[in-house]
Amino acid sequence: MKKSFRTFVAAAMAVSLLAGCSGSSGQTATTAQDGNPAAGNASSQAETSGSQAPDGGKSYTVGIGQFAAHGSLDNCREGFLLGLAEEGIVEGENLTVLYENSQADGGIASQIITNFASQKVDLICGIATPMAQTAYGVGRKQNIPVIFTAVTDPVAAELANADGSPVGEITGTSDKLPVTQQLEMIRAILPDAKTIGIMYTTSEVNSLSTIEEYKAAAGDYGFEIVDTGISTTADVPLAADSLLEKVDCITNLTDNTVVASLPVILDKAAKKNIPVFGSEIEQVKIGCLAAMGLDYIELGKQTGRMAAAVLKGEKKAGEMNYEVIQEAAFYGNAKVAENLGITIPEELSSSAKEMFTDITQ
Amino acid sequence: MLKLNNISKYYNTGTVNEMCLFQDFNLSVEKGQFVSVVGSNGSGKTSMLNIICGSIPVDSGTIYIGDENITHMPEFKRQRRIGRVYQNPAMGTCPHMTILENMALADNKGKSFNLRRGTDKKRVDYYRENLRSLGLGLEDKLYVKVGVLSGGQRQAMALLMSTLTPIEFLILDEHTAALDPKTAETIMELTGRVVKEKKLTTIMVTHNLRYAVEYGDRLLMMHQGQAVIDEAGERKAAVRIEDLLERFNAISIECGN
Amino acid sequence: MTLLLGVLEEGLIYGVMALGVYITYKILDFPDLSVDSTFPMGAALTASALLAGINPVLTLFLSFGAGALAGCATGFIHVKLKVRDLLSGIIVMTGLYSLNLRFAGGRANVPVFTQDTIFENPFLAGIMPQWLSPYLMVLILFLIIIICKVLLDLYLNTRSGYLLRAVGDNEALVTSLAKDKGMVKILGLAIANGFSSLAGCIYCQHKGFFEISVGTGTIVMGLASVIIGIQLLCPENGTSFLSALKLPQVRPTTAVIVGSIVYKACISLAISMGMEANDLKLITSILFLVILVVSAERRKKVKSHA
Repeated sequence: MKKSFRTFVAAAMAVSLLAGCSGSSGQTATTAQDGNPAAGNASSQAETSGSQAPDGGKSYTVGIGQFAAHGSLDNCREGFLLGLAEEGIVEGENLTVLYENSQADGGIASQIITNFASQKVDLICGIATPMAQTAYGVGRKQNIPVIFTAVTDPVAAELANADGSPVGEITGTSDKLPVTQQLEMIRAILPDAKTIGIMYTTSEVNSLSTIEEYKAAAGDYGFEIVDTGISTTADVPLAADSLLEKVDCITNLTDNTVVASLPVILDKAAKKNIPVFGSEIEQVKIGCLAAMGLDYIELGKQTGRMAAAVLKGEKKAGEMNYEVIQEAAFYGNAKVAENLGITIPEELSSSAKEMFTDITQ
Repeated sequence: MLKLNNISKYYNTGTVNEMCLFQDFNLSVEKGQFVSVVGSNGSGKTSMLNIICGSIPVDSGTIYIGDENITHMPEFKRQRRIGRVYQNPAMGTCPHMTILENMALADNKGKSFNLRRGTDKKRVDYYRENLRSLGLGLEDKLYVKVGVLSGGQRQAMALLMSTLTPIEFLILDEHTAALDPKTAETIMELTGRVVKEKKLTTIMVTHNLRYAVEYGDRLLMMHQGQAVIDEAGERKAAVRIEDLLERFNAISIECGN
Repeated sequence: MTLLLGVLEEGLIYGVMALGVYITYKILDFPDLSVDSTFPMGAALTASALLAGINPVLTLFLSFGAGALAGCATGFIHVKLKVRDLLSGIIVMTGLYSLNLRFAGGRANVPVFTQDTIFENPFLAGIMPQWLSPYLMVLILFLIIIICKVLLDLYLNTRSGYLLRAVGDNEALVTSLAKDKGMVKILGLAIANGFSSLAGCIYCQHKGFFEISVGTGTIVMGLASVIIGIQLLCPENGTSFLSALKLPQVRPTTAVIVGSIVYKACISLAISMGMEANDLKLITSILFLVILVVSAERRKKVKSHA
C-alpha cells in the first residue's frame, strides 16, 4: 500500500526537478550574453529607504520581479536599471534593488511581490504579463506604484484602459512587435516569397494577438500566413517539420516556448535552406537571418526613465499612459545570409542597428 | 443452501504454465452446516472460498445461494449475505480507526452509508456488550485505534465484526493460522460459540487438523481440486486426526514428495 | 506585518487545496496528480464566470462542483477502466490543460481586476469599517477555510465518511461491508478535487487574474503542506510537541492548514533571505525527501516495537 506512495513521491519530485531544469535550460538557450547586473547582489539586505530627506539626499528601494529567466527579459531588467541611472538613480548609490525571478511559477510570483510589499519598496517593476498583473494585484492594495515592461497587450491584461490611460497607479511599456515593419523587411529581403510560417504556443496570449495582427497585415505585402500551434516544447520538432514543408520563410514572435526551442527550428530550417526571421536581437544573434525588432535594452531604458519620474515624484504612475517603443531597429546576421545565399539589401544593412558576422551558439 | 455446480477454473490459460485447479467441481452445503476443510497447499481450499465470495471469477459452472444464481454477481454484492474472516488479522479491521468506529462500520453493513452520524450513540452500549463477550477487555478501549491491538485481539474483532449483522454465510479462511497457539485456541473457541449462537452456515479452511476434527459437522479434504474425503454427521464425528494424517501421507507419496 | 498577512493569505488559499490532498494522500492512499490541473480549472472557470457576471460567491460552489466532476473522471479512469492510479491522474491532468484553456475562453491569461470578487464588492465595501480593510482578505479566507475544514471534519464522521476512511485503510473491509470500494474511491477523489478547484477559484479572485501556469507544482505544495502539518502536529503513533506542552490535540485537517501556512512561510523566508527562485524547487524537493525519510524512519521504529 505504501509502495505506491514512494513511486508517487518520486514522480512528484522528478516533476518538480524537471520543471526546475527546464527553466534553467531555457535560460542557457536564450541568454547569450549575461550581464546580470542585479542578480548577484539581490536583496540580501532589505533596508527600507524611508529617509525622506530634502532633495538630493533621497534614496529609493525598487523591487524588480521578473516572471521567467529569458534573454529578452534579462535585457529588459538591464535596460531598466540603465534608464534609472540616466535619470540619476544609480544602484548602490541612491538605489537599492531587490530582484527576484519566479521561474514561471505563479505561486512564487505572488510571494515575491508580497515580499517586496512587506519591505516597503517605493516602486515595483513587473517584467512580463503575469508578473505585472501580480504586482498590480498587490500594489493597488498596498498603494505601491507599479511599472511594467515586456507586456505585449496591456489593455487585454487589464493593466491599462483601451485608450492607453492607466487603470490605477500602474504604467509601463509594451513590447508589442512592429508587425508591419517586419513584413516590409521580409518583402525587401525575399521579393519572391509567398508564404510566411509562424509557430506559436496556444497558451500564450501575446502570441495569439500578434498572429491576428500578422494575418490582418500580411495581405498588404502579398504574403500568406501559415500558422501552427504547439502546446509544449516537445511539440516543436514535429511542428517545425510540418511547417517547413509549407512555407517559404519563417518569422518568429516573442513566444517564450518557441523562442526557447529556437535552435531546433533554426537547425531544421538551415537544412532546408529556408530563412528564419527573428523578432529581437537575441534571436538574430543565435542564427535568425534578420529582425525588425525590439531592442529590449532600449525598452528597459524607456521603462526605467518612466520609473524615475514616478520615484522622483515628478509624475504619478496613474498620470502616464503606457508607452510602446518608438523605433523598431533592424538587426541582420551576415553569416546566416551567406549560408543561405541571400543578400541583404544595402538600404537595410546600412541602416542596421547591429550586423552580426557569426552565429553565437 | 450453497451449491457449486460443475465449477472449472484454470490458471494461466493458454500458456505452458496452464494449471487446472478445478474441473467439474461440485459442492453442496446445507443450511446450518459447519464445514471444516483441510488439504495440502495448492489443493484448492482457498481458491474455493475465493470462488464462493467472488474474489476470483470461474471459467465455467454456476454458483447458487438458495435459489439465486450468483455466478456473475460482483464480489461486494455477494458480501451482503457473507461474512469473511481472513488469515491476516489486518484484513478484517481498519487499523487507523478506533474500535468504536470499526464496530459502527460493521454494524452498518447492509444499510446505507449516508450522511447520518457515523457512530450512533445509542448503539455504543450494544457494541460494548458484544466486545465484552470476547473476554479480551476491548470494551474498555473503545477509543483506541485498532492498529495498536495485537493480532489475536484484531482477529477477535474481525470475527465479531463479520458476524455483527445478520448474515447467511460465514467464511473462515485459515483464520487462526497467523496466531500463536494460545490465541488461536481462544479465537477457535470463540468461533465455535458464535457459529452455534447465530446458527451460521460456515465453511472453515484450516491447516490445524485437530480443529478440523473437533469443530464442525462436516469434514472435507481437498486434493488437486477434488474432495478426497467428505464425511458428515456421525461418520464425521468418527474421523480421527490419525486418519487424516494417514491420508495426507498417502497423497504425498502419490505426488512424489 | 504585510509579510505576515501575505503568508497567511497564501497559506490559507493553498490550505483549501491541501485539504483535498489530505483526502487523497492520507485518507484514500491514492497518489492523485489531477489536482495540478483542477486548481487552474477552478481559476479558469472563475475568471470566465466573473466576466459573465456570475455572483462571485456562486463561483465558489461552481468551482467545487466542476472540480468534483474532474475528480470523478480520475476515479472513473482508475476504477472502471482499470488504469493505474498515478497514470489516471496524469491522464486527467494532461487533458484538463487543454480544457482549462477552453474554459478560459481560449486565453491563457484572463484578468478580472475590474470585476467584483468575494474580496472586493459593493456589499463588503458598504459594511466593512476602514480600519479592518488590511485584514479583510485574511478574514474572508479564514472564514472560508474554517467552513471547509468543519464541513470536512463533519463529513469524515458520517457513515459515508467512515467508509471513505476505511477504503484507504483497508479496501478488503469495504468489500466485506458489501460496498463497492471503487465507488468510494471515486467519491473521495471528487471531494479532493473539488477542494483543489475551490482553492483555484479563490486564488483567481485574490490575485485578480487567471493564468494557465498557476497549476504548476500544486501537488508538490499540497503534499508538502500535508506532510509538514501532520508530522508537526499529529504524527502517526507519535507524540507531537503539542502533547509535550500539554496543549490540546488538533485534528489532522487543522494540521494540514497549519502545514500549508508553515510551508508558505518557509518559501517566503527563503525568498527574503535572497534564495534564488531557480533553486526553490530543488530545495522543496530536498525538504520533502528529508521529511519523508525521517517520518518513514519513525514508522519503522514504531512497527518494530509493536
